[in-house]
Amino acid sequence: MTRVFVPKDSAALAVGAEAVARAFADAGCEVVRTGSRGFFWLEPLVEVETPEGRRAFGPATPGDVSAILSGDSPLALGDIAAHPWMAGQTRLTFARCGLGDPLDPPPFEALARARDLGADGVIAAIAESGLRGRGGAGFPVGVKWKTVRDAPGGLKYLVCNADEGDSGTFADRMLMEGDPFLLIEGMAIAALAVGAARGFIYSRSEYPHANATMAAALGIARARDLTPGFDLQLRIGAGAYVCGEETALLESLEGKRGQVRPKPPLPAHSGLFGRPTAINNVLSLAAVPWIVLNGGPAYEALGHGRSRGTKPIQIAGNVARPGLYETPFGLTLRQIVEDIGGGTASGRPVRAVQCGGPLGAYFPPALLDTPYDYEAFAAQGGLIGHGGIVVFDDTVDMAAQARFALEFCGIESCGKCTPCRLGSKRGVETIDRITAGIEPEANLALVEDLCETLKYGSLCALGGFTPYPVMSAIRHFPEDFARASARAAAE
Amino acid sequence: MTRPDRLIYMANQIASFFAAQPGDAAEGVAAHIRSFWDPGMRTEIRAWGTSGGEGLSPVALEAVGRLKDAPAR
Amino acid sequence: MARLLEFDLGTPQASGAPVTLTIDGRPVTVPAGTSILRAAAEAGTQIPKLCATDSLEAFGSCRLCLVEIEGRAGTPASCTTPVAEGMAVRTQTPKLATLRRGVMELYISDHPLDCLTCAANGDCELQDMAGAVGLREVRYGYEGESHLGLPCDESNPYFTFDPAKCIVCSRCVRACDEVQGTLALTVEDRGFGSRIAAGQGELFLSSECVSCGACVQACPTAALTEKAVIEIGQPERAEVTTCAYCGVGCAFKAEMRGEALVRMVPWKDGKANHGHSCVKGRFAWGYATHRERILEPMIRASTAEPWRTVSWDEAIAYAASEFARIEAAHGPHALGGITSSRCTNEETYLVQKMIRARFGVNNVDTCARVCHSPTGYGLKTAFGTSAGTQDFDSVEHADVILVIGANPTDGHPVFASRMKRRLRQGARLIVIDPRRIDLVRTPHVEAAHHLALRPGTNVAILTALAHVIVAEGLFDEAFVRERCDPEDFAAWAEHVARPEHSPEALEATTGVPAAEVRAAARLYATGGNAAIYYGLGVTEHSQGSTSVMAIANLAMATGNIGRPGVGVNPLRGQNNVQGACDMGSFPHELAGYRHVSDDATRALFEAAWGAPLDPEPGLRIPNMLDAAVAGRFKGLYVQGEDILQSDPNTRHVAAGLAAMECVIVHDLFLNETANYAHVFLPGSTFLEKNGTFTNAERRIQRVRKVMSPRNGLEDWEITQKLSNALGYPMAYDHPSQIMDEIARLTPTFAGVSYDLLEREGSVQWPCNDAASTGTPVMHLERFVRGAGKFVLTDYVPTDEKVGPRFPLLLTTGRILSQYNVGAQTRRTDNVLWHEEDVLEVHPQDAEDRGLRDGDWVRLVSRAGDTTLRARITDRVAPGVVYTTFHHPGTQANVVTTDYSDWATNCPEYKVTAVQVAPSNGPSDWQARYEAMSERSRRIASSEAQAEPAE
Repeated sequence: MTRVFVPKDSAALAVGAEAVARAFADAGCEVVRTGSRGFFWLEPLVEVETPEGRRAFGPATPGDVSAILSGDSPLALGDIAAHPWMAGQTRLTFARCGLGDPLDPPPFEALARARDLGADGVIAAIAESGLRGRGGAGFPVGVKWKTVRDAPGGLKYLVCNADEGDSGTFADRMLMEGDPFLLIEGMAIAALAVGAARGFIYSRSEYPHANATMAAALGIARARDLTPGFDLQLRIGAGAYVCGEETALLESLEGKRGQVRPKPPLPAHSGLFGRPTAINNVLSLAAVPWIVLNGGPAYEALGHGRSRGTKPIQIAGNVARPGLYETPFGLTLRQIVEDIGGGTASGRPVRAVQCGGPLGAYFPPALLDTPYDYEAFAAQGGLIGHGGIVVFDDTVDMAAQARFALEFCGIESCGKCTPCRLGSKRGVETIDRITAGIEPEANLALVEDLCETLKYGSLCALGGFTPYPVMSAIRHFPEDFARASARAAAE
Repeated sequence: MTRPDRLIYMANQIASFFAAQPGDAAEGVAAHIRSFWDPGMRTEIRAWGTSGGEGLSPVALEAVGRLKDAPAR
Repeated sequence: MARLLEFDLGTPQASGAPVTLTIDGRPVTVPAGTSILRAAAEAGTQIPKLCATDSLEAFGSCRLCLVEIEGRAGTPASCTTPVAEGMAVRTQTPKLATLRRGVMELYISDHPLDCLTCAANGDCELQDMAGAVGLREVRYGYEGESHLGLPCDESNPYFTFDPAKCIVCSRCVRACDEVQGTLALTVEDRGFGSRIAAGQGELFLSSECVSCGACVQACPTAALTEKAVIEIGQPERAEVTTCAYCGVGCAFKAEMRGEALVRMVPWKDGKANHGHSCVKGRFAWGYATHRERILEPMIRASTAEPWRTVSWDEAIAYAASEFARIEAAHGPHALGGITSSRCTNEETYLVQKMIRARFGVNNVDTCARVCHSPTGYGLKTAFGTSAGTQDFDSVEHADVILVIGANPTDGHPVFASRMKRRLRQGARLIVIDPRRIDLVRTPHVEAAHHLALRPGTNVAILTALAHVIVAEGLFDEAFVRERCDPEDFAAWAEHVARPEHSPEALEATTGVPAAEVRAAARLYATGGNAAIYYGLGVTEHSQGSTSVMAIANLAMATGNIGRPGVGVNPLRGQNNVQGACDMGSFPHELAGYRHVSDDATRALFEAAWGAPLDPEPGLRIPNMLDAAVAGRFKGLYVQGEDILQSDPNTRHVAAGLAAMECVIVHDLFLNETANYAHVFLPGSTFLEKNGTFTNAERRIQRVRKVMSPRNGLEDWEITQKLSNALGYPMAYDHPSQIMDEIARLTPTFAGVSYDLLEREGSVQWPCNDAASTGTPVMHLERFVRGAGKFVLTDYVPTDEKVGPRFPLLLTTGRILSQYNVGAQTRRTDNVLWHEEDVLEVHPQDAEDRGLRDGDWVRLVSRAGDTTLRARITDRVAPGVVYTTFHHPGTQANVVTTDYSDWATNCPEYKVTAVQVAPSNGPSDWQARYEAMSERSRRIASSEAQAEPAE
């Protein structure tokens, strides 16, 4: 019986993977449902086991099944590991993703190694690796863990932030759907390091498939006692973007309204239920097993500047080859968009690239040579964030994008701090006045002032970072604001 | 003489408390009554005791009997 | 005069080691943990702020208090940033000025521009801050989306919520969460749509809001405003005074405009309430100007006649002549007086002084007879002092809180809020109560153990707890050895350890599973600092005094006495129960709990008062009534109490009063007792007189006159007039002179004076040379009596027993919005929350009797019957029914019996065997009483307008 691997990842399901899997089964194949390999433009990307190894085909439809099985399908991609898009990657975190059944637990070799190293050894390895928080802030993970470990008090918590809300990001989801045990193992190691006996994964209701897979994996881990002494539970948010902010997440996890807390105190000192809490992103935690097995220096050897290791970049938007591409820091944005992403899907020129989610800056073509690195991006007013990259062609209206950033801020604001709660609304109204041709100069100045208020006055990054897309749009694409107001004035 | 039901009830209640204490229960009851009852009430219960003290518990009856022995503290 | 606007330091006080930093170049030293905002405020630098206030934890939402810190990036909020050694802070820079104006510009773009017609004009932090940050224009204009059109919520009788004026600072929500602990308020929606909501978008009145006023207090704008401020205007002066409701003794600023009271604002520096309040003290003061208040004296020869309004002189002369006549005819022992726990210490002192000194009798008693007299007896026996051992602040150090026979969230709401805060911080709770009181399960608070015992079995359950502590070796041997009488302890330990006192043996009696009792005992004995709080559910029993001593035994055995966080804490029902008792209101004691038979004490008073005193104890209230029925007691002066409604077995009380020849009622209203009175002396409210109240923690606090007495005289002046007319001269010019006399004659009050109270704000007695500013926690080194005394507490079942005719047990209590007999609260809008007394019946008992929720039911006991509506609820256990006694129309006390505490005659209100049956109208007694009451209240000069009885 032929074994066929068909992804069950949401990105594949969205383009018909379920029907394809059924067609293979109907054709008498043994179908193994896997995670995604990250080649989203080729989904559903199926692999057929042959004596020469796995052979990939995509994008597959049920109608392609017989040709695929007979070996003469034009969709043939050969050995996916040899595919240039894969061969160019350095897959550490996503090494297993898409290979096999996500619910088949691997041996927790890294956890065993971590037990040998002990908490101090693990923290030392993580510190050596230079791993920085993959959620966006880029805070050194080793420092955070040491803070929690050293915090007084017996009861400590570990929380995984899986509330992946940035537009154009999907790495957390892909990992939870494709390799949930990696996250579980990473968390078990983290718990050992910080001294937590209890952990929570805070996921989001928009991820039903990821949640189902994660829940099933947790059930298996519990049944087989894969993480002795560490109780891990899944919690699901109710759709608030701001709950991806760590303190709002903790409030939500406590059963309260998802409002941002002021810092200090840091969650490492007083987090979940007031106890010392390590809160890390899915990708940070999932990077841990590799580091523990291969040593901090091996991870640290990769990367660029102070950004060490690999980053799973998520390429999306108007791009020919969307998907997940794990690579060490240091490629230029142009390499990512043009070489890896293949330029726009529409074939028109790239006009803007938004990096780091809806609160990240828009890069104009002139800045595409910026290296993908926390510090280099920051120098350009940009944001690595969770690694999302959204590409726009030359039909984009950047005044509308600036308005959208403020509108998004208004919709997703928790409503606690004044700049975000009121400023987002006033910002939208002021941009509307600009594009309506009403005192455009004075109103542009007002938007700039508002952005200062948001940037320096907001309680959290939601309000604090909204100025990045807005100001980058105004700075790099002033003609879109002038055009709109001129058009309005002419009418 | 009308039967002072209320005072009998009160004296018996006091007696039931002191009966459970170590020491001279009747003296405890008598001291309590001397401390807290107005002389008119004391006279009335004493009179009832003298006339047989029907209704009074043994401890209460003994205590009532001692009321005449000592003035209020 | 108090400050009208108090200084707000922005965030709560911290208590760390000193830290020095510079703010705008000036060095400042504050405790570690202090916010930069507070450090600046303490140094006199006002950083603009809106969401911060020193009664609430820092929140960091308004973003006005941003500062710059040398060496740190950004502009952190000074309210949420703690100070650090050597930190250099700048509070005024061009960048900060721009940011603050930017924030304020946003605020004002969503705020009505109606300052000149706004009720908060002049008392609005938003207005102040707009000025402070120098806002000059709002470039966003006013055409954008706003909240200005949202409807105003006027449902609460005392305050309005106008969302148009709300700046969503969450101070109200946080006050409800942190200070009150009800969690009734929330923020609905998010982002720009965020708005304050009561419950789930309900009106304030229909939500879980308890109308404590904390939100109104916290609101920086006119969003939450007292209706009185809207109607009358901003106050112009303030006086600090003490609430006249429960025994918590909250300090308030009475804020006045001319002679009109605009609002009562809880005083931040009040040591009992720390700036918090409840619906009664905060809002229910309208009775002072209620139309039913009597302002002129009245007399009549018999209660069959209508009242005749007369001058003060005539009324006083008539009263004096009647008392003199009775004295002549029946002797002085036919006369007596009742002091009031609602009146001041000085007034109470004068009433007992007049009775004792003028008539040479000790026939004086006080309403504590019917509430906390067992506390006085029990704690004096065990510890040597008739008072609670702790201050309220002590609860902040408690790890285990045992509440027995008290319902703090209704009866002592402001203290309950502090208790709940401590419980939310992690203290464990044990509740011993037949009823599932709110504290058993309330937001973020849940009792570890609720021992729902059968009414009347307190001693059994307390002894069972003691059994576990002794049998399992959980007692504090060192404490007992050092502090207590060893023989008494040994006898007690042997006694309680007997098998018949085990939880298992007593389970059938108490109805509480033995395992629960054992777990609760272990928690109390081993859970850290354990504090007991109790109320009338302990005292108002035939074994009330025994229960108090059993409680004292538990505290001593476990070493939970003599330091903060522990103790035995009676929650006093009325504002001045403690004080009335302290002042010598009991018939066997002179001020300071000294027995009348003590020759030295009597000599001291005789010398000071210039009159011989009776060495024999006088009559207690029930004894007076018995004696009246027997024809030996003829004249009674009742100040500020309504014994007909509040005392048990109403028919017996009525018979006693009816048998008297002269009843003088001194009160604000024609109360129920006045139906049997011959002289009515109109009283003054707490707003109209000077004096002091002593709260449940022995705290003596000033009551200050904020307006002239509408009846013309302060109450102490009325008693003084009566005394003078009776021929015993008194010539006080001010209550401070009365307090000076009390201090001279009472060792525990020796240091107390109005000057001291002015300086200290308040003091807790003992206050004397040994403790010049008072004593927060008693029995620190040794017990006042020397060695702590263990008393054997045998459970003796009450004679009030259920049987086929009366199969249910009635227990009574109070409700948050009403107070005692309701004379005050029924004459305020608090009736919106509690229009009538209802009978709580368990669904099972209701079904057995065919009762539905809201049905009229007849409640019958051996003593009498009454009719009220049923509420079907599993808050009460099967076999138990419960009601309140706030409404004279219900007359719950028609049903209660003559049974009382063995030591003090405190009535057994909490246990009455009853039957409940469907009914279709008032009982015969209610109908007859109603008719009599209507007749008795007629006033001759204005009979046409006389108010019907309630």
